[in-house]
Amino acid sequence: MPRHTPDPGSGISRRAVLHGAGVMMALPWLESLAPTAKTYVAEVFPKRLAVLFMGNGINENHWSAEGAGAAMKLSKTLSVLEPFKQKVNVIDGLFNKAATGQGIHPAQTGNLLSGAQIQKGAVIRSGVSIDQLIASHVGQETPHESLVLSCEQPMTGYHETNFSLAYSSHISWQSPHSPVPVEVYPSLAFDNLFENRSSVRNISVLDRVKDRAQTLTTKISAVDRAKLDEYLTSVREVETRVEKMRQSKDVADDRAKQTNTSVFAMERPANGLPEDLRDHARLMCDIIALAFQTDRTRVASLLLARDLSAMYYPFLGVTDGHHAASHDNLSDGYERVARFHLSQFSYLAQKLDSMSEGDETVLDNSCLMFLSSLWIGRTHDNSRLPLVLAGGLGGTIETGRTLSYLGAGDDNRRMCSLYLSLLDRIGIEADHFGDAEAPLARL
Amino acid sequence: MRRSRFWRGIVLAALGGGMLASPGLAAVQSTAERGFTETVQPFVRQHCTGCHGGASPVAQFDLASYGTFEAVVEDHARWELVMERLDAGEMPPAGQPEPPREEREKVITWIREMRDAESRRRAGDPGRVLSHRLSNAEYSYTIRDLTGVDLRPTREFPVDPANLEGFDNSGESLTMSSSLLTKYLQAAREVSAHLVLTPDGLDFAPHPMRVETDREKYAIQRIVDFYRQQPTDYADYFEAAWHYKHHDVLPQVGATLESVATERQLSTKYLLLVWQNLEGSVTEEVGPIATLRRMWHALPPPDADGAETLRTECLRMRDFVVEVRRHTAMQFAAPEVDGLSPWSQPLINWKYDQFASHRREFDRTALRQDSDPEPAPPEIPGYPRLGEEAAPRARALQLRARAGSSDLVVPDGELARYERAFAEFANVFPDAFYVSERGRFYPDDSADKGRFLSAGYHNVMGYYRDDQPLQELVLDDEGRVRLDRLWDEFDFIADYTGRTWVQYFFNQSGEVHCDARGGFQCRESGSNRPSDAKVSATSVILELRDAYLAKATENLTNDPIAPEAIQVHFHKVDDTLRRVERMRVDAEPLHLEALLAFAERAYRRPLTTLDGEDLLAYYRSLREVTGLSHVEAARDSIVSILMAPDFLYRLDLVDAMSAPNAAPRPAAGRPADAVEAHALSPYALANRLSYFLWSSMPDAELLDHAADGSLLDPGVLVAQARRMLKDPRVRGLATEFAGNWLEFRRFEQLNSVDRLRFPGFDGELRQAMFEEPVRMMEDVLRQNRSVLDLVYGDYTFVNPTLARHYGMPQGAGDETVWVRVDGAGRYDRGGLLPMAAFLTQSSPGLRTSPVKRGFWIVRRILGETIPPPPPSVPELPADETTSTRSVREMMAQHRENPMCAACHARFDAFGLAFEGYGPVGERRETDLAGRLVDAHAEFPGGASGEGLAGVQRYIQEHRQDEYVATLARKMLAFGLSRSLLLSDEPLIEQVQATLEDQAFRIGSLVETIITSPQFRNRRNPDVQLDPVRGE
Repeated sequence: MPRHTPDPGSGISRRAVLHGAGVMMALPWLESLAPTAKTYVAEVFPKRLAVLFMGNGINENHWSAEGAGAAMKLSKTLSVLEPFKQKVNVIDGLFNKAATGQGIHPAQTGNLLSGAQIQKGAVIRSGVSIDQLIASHVGQETPHESLVLSCEQPMTGYHETNFSLAYSSHISWQSPHSPVPVEVYPSLAFDNLFENRSSVRNISVLDRVKDRAQTLTTKISAVDRAKLDEYLTSVREVETRVEKMRQSKDVADDRAKQTNTSVFAMERPANGLPEDLRDHARLMCDIIALAFQTDRTRVASLLLARDLSAMYYPFLGVTDGHHAASHDNLSDGYERVARFHLSQFSYLAQKLDSMSEGDETVLDNSCLMFLSSLWIGRTHDNSRLPLVLAGGLGGTIETGRTLSYLGAGDDNRRMCSLYLSLLDRIGIEADHFGDAEAPLARL
Repeated sequence: MRRSRFWRGIVLAALGGGMLASPGLAAVQSTAERGFTETVQPFVRQHCTGCHGGASPVAQFDLASYGTFEAVVEDHARWELVMERLDAGEMPPAGQPEPPREEREKVITWIREMRDAESRRRAGDPGRVLSHRLSNAEYSYTIRDLTGVDLRPTREFPVDPANLEGFDNSGESLTMSSSLLTKYLQAAREVSAHLVLTPDGLDFAPHPMRVETDREKYAIQRIVDFYRQQPTDYADYFEAAWHYKHHDVLPQVGATLESVATERQLSTKYLLLVWQNLEGSVTEEVGPIATLRRMWHALPPPDADGAETLRTECLRMRDFVVEVRRHTAMQFAAPEVDGLSPWSQPLINWKYDQFASHRREFDRTALRQDSDPEPAPPEIPGYPRLGEEAAPRARALQLRARAGSSDLVVPDGELARYERAFAEFANVFPDAFYVSERGRFYPDDSADKGRFLSAGYHNVMGYYRDDQPLQELVLDDEGRVRLDRLWDEFDFIADYTGRTWVQYFFNQSGEVHCDARGGFQCRESGSNRPSDAKVSATSVILELRDAYLAKATENLTNDPIAPEAIQVHFHKVDDTLRRVERMRVDAEPLHLEALLAFAERAYRRPLTTLDGEDLLAYYRSLREVTGLSHVEAARDSIVSILMAPDFLYRLDLVDAMSAPNAAPRPAAGRPADAVEAHALSPYALANRLSYFLWSSMPDAELLDHAADGSLLDPGVLVAQARRMLKDPRVRGLATEFAGNWLEFRRFEQLNSVDRLRFPGFDGELRQAMFEEPVRMMEDVLRQNRSVLDLVYGDYTFVNPTLARHYGMPQGAGDETVWVRVDGAGRYDRGGLLPMAAFLTQSSPGLRTSPVKRGFWIVRRILGETIPPPPPSVPELPADETTSTRSVREMMAQHRENPMCAACHARFDAFGLAFEGYGPVGERRETDLAGRLVDAHAEFPGGASGEGLAGVQRYIQEHRQDEYVATLARKMLAFGLSRSLLLSDEPLIEQVQATLEDQAFRIGSLVETIITSPQFRNRRNPDVQLDPVRGE
């Protein structure tokens, strides 16, 4: 059933893709000036991508799946996927070559979504991550290019391996030199989603310079006034465009009405950081769900627990901090930690699945990815990565499968091949990404 | 018809809207008018309009359209062409009936007189210089000079259109649109992302400041740079001391220690200390002091020719000091507390404190008396593991290194004396002046370093300052203040103490709540979030301190110093956090002042009270109404300044820009009956000058001269110009003026070369080709060389890439190293003409184009106007290798057609002479098909010559005046930011005369332009000019 969104990125060469990524991401506020085309052709819905990440790996004894469709058998940790397993792909055996052999932790995380070689020492250098590359293409269509959230404050400084701890704290990178700032506060993420502050700020600047120009008009000769008029006209035109953008919130509501669904009612989260991680993670997932449903963005990433996380799980009966606990990752406690994080993914997926969009759901038009940086925490083994996808990405990914690439040979089990596939399914032309030049077979 | 009228409209606009009513000249005009109707019009009708008229006039030049005298005056430039063509006998072309000589002369004379009369009548007219937005180039340079960071925000801007003179710096062509304004908004946002608020002002970082790591990188780099700039090499001090010692015989009579230190960029106070240690009285002249003094006295005397020996010996002295200090440096470990790791922040910081505060002391246990037995070699513990103390290994390595060092063995019974000597020695020679980077551990013997300022905490951020000896021994008061300030800025900008505290609180402080077993797991947990206070509150800090104190005193085997270490740590954190809070409060008003100062610089004129109030009101509304934070509001204020017309436009305000004493000033240096004009305000003049010479904003010195009005004095104006021409920013003029004049401004984007056929042509070579004429022009400007050098100069500038391309010997260094090559004629280079950039951009891929090359020379260098070719010209083959005849032969055939010959005869020769250069400007003997090339040329007027030298000689002997006039015109048009008027002709003549008088120095050209009435005045805006006619 071909049901593709008109593709904003097709026909663009790889060079333009990469170039574009650098430029657009350097100017993330640009989103607010993009034209708003919000008249939806019936049955054509946008494709979305969300990446949920937990650092430090899972309990490998309880992470497995076999079979397909209704017959899919899920192990203990993966059991949280049971209710919607037909919309899930459990993918085993992929890895990120550039993240191996460089040292543990930060060097295993900072390039997870880019496959880039990262640099140790005082200079930070990674690569543009897949979510941000996609955002730079599809982000013009929405008020926000992407939503980059975290349940944990980022770290800086250095790890013992001499890699910056910034690599441990960020999976979304807008340029090789700079990660995307993460939003940790649910209340601020919520406000920003709806207040559209960048538009408000641009309007304020334009208002001011308009006043400025009018003041000047009295101080210049008649001949020069014509030049200033030209400027004023331009200011007014831009202002009108930005103003339209600002009002686009209503459009999202209109659209929900047209399609006969109600927008998920979420109350504004309280100020400050939620005391309990469970509340925090849930709020962040709600914000992503809301953003996807109202098409305020199509790309999101959520760092549930960063690499070297110091999160606390007293509610799981685990007394150690997350990273410390991961060194005993075969423990029941650590299994609960992994299951807790995967259940956030499950929550978000089911939330999106409850939002209908045409005959299907928002989940059907999205791809959610759950990913960790390690397979085995106690040995820092990242030769394979825990990975779950959910959602059919607008009918471009068949779901309800378990795919294993373990025996396929290193060249055929690259994470970057998966990213290349995602680019393709979203409709962005690229012949290579990171270390991959071919998409992932069988996906 | 439409086309012609349109074109005339443009010229009219450029002329400034037509003529002034000037009744006194009516008589002259009527004679001239009669001449037009009685002589010129009949001639034109008979001999010209047959081709240059009708529906599709030849060369798109319609002579039938000039119905009135005024129409001719308005379009004087074209009529100059008519005159030239008639004079040269080129028109009417061969084959057409020839007009009688006498009639022809009459018309020529009429045109000449018309031009003379008109140009003198309005000589010095400033013309209409429209206010205009900054061009892309001007915007980019101005942002650079305003922020101190070369951001080049216009990379993605559309290319600016050029005016009739080919320059993109005038209101005639620079317009604004909403899409461009959007780009300005993006650019302003990009610039504002680089904003850094400092404790007392604002600055711009070389990279955007978006995330924590950006802010840390910025602050850390500044500290590390500061450290690296400090003179801390002992050898330099020994050498300086030697120079002082021998200053009587060296050419430094009268030198003092201070003057020697200053001259050698060393610390005066430290040189005094070193001197004292080498020459002054010391408590005990034994041990290392005695050894060092022996080496000192053994330095070669000044009469020996031994500068090299001196340096070598000073380096040996340094190595001696460094080794003794390495062997005797004090070592410390973190206090041991049961249940806490030695990596626990309060404990490891105590260790760092000890290191930092004992660098000028020595380890007494390092000394051994003669009779003492040599200590057994220590066992070296393995490289420490996570959470282990690094001290035992560092200590063992030090002990092993000491073994066998005779410097540490003292005579029996003299230990006390030696200890005093070692103490004095260590006091002057610290074991390190500062620590700018650490490895995994401290001390760390691995090569894996590079963490700037890192404290080496486990899995959380942390930095540690260790530079006490540098402060005490090397830095003067100013340096100390500066260094303290840099560290304060680190806190202020990157909040490093605050963020370290928060990370420590949530990720590590759980260690103190663990039971006595402690261990690895406990270290990576945090304390519970306080419910009633911020984590950084004093009460929270002290509460945690107390938990540590309890832990430290819980067990009698704990190091008794631990409680003090804990007190010091927590109080330091608390004090710093409180101090940073106060700094933030104190800084806000200073930031507002800095914003005002920024606006003043951005507007390039004094801020009026109203301007200032307006900006502050905007900031307040951002805080109070929009709800932005201080930093966000400051950023948006910057954006609004950069978006304001005051910044984006070169406006000439009627009142605000005038100097205080100035009502409209009488125009400078103008003939009495000239057009109404008044002098520019000093600020407008400063802007005009700096955008002429730098394509950028005025600097502080220039604005000072605007502020006191002195810039209006031509002497001051010229002095400023001379200063500015020597400034590196004159590269703006070299690039923007020469780049547009000679049409290579966009060469960096040139993509017409077939890189498969010319694999040597890569991005680096293209960049070097672009750079060559810029370097040449910059050199001529900065060194005030002759403008003739541009054409005849037997030198050029190359980097290794270009040298390779030119077959010149390659100098050392990378592609950033440019050298002047004299005697470039040996390689068939020299001056602008044979530069690869020009030869390449004129070549359509796989062949040369003598037509384009020749056209470029006569048009750009000699200033000829050649009409466009008819639409039906045959194309030459695109590839030399596939054509049966040479380009030269094909062109010869082309010229057999008289219609073509009239023009081609004027420029083909210049291109043919360059046939010895291939499609990427490379020297060649044969063309791509293997035919021998022939660089012989018959120039207009019958002279002939060969190659570069032939062209240069021909220009020198026959066309030099034209070249000089062309350069003068082009530079005048660029400097005035407008197309030229007939009334500029007398100034052009004056410029040429001055150049000849002053050995053609380019400075005289610039000076004549900037002191001209055109440059220093503007048309009186109140004068109503005749409405534009002709449209």
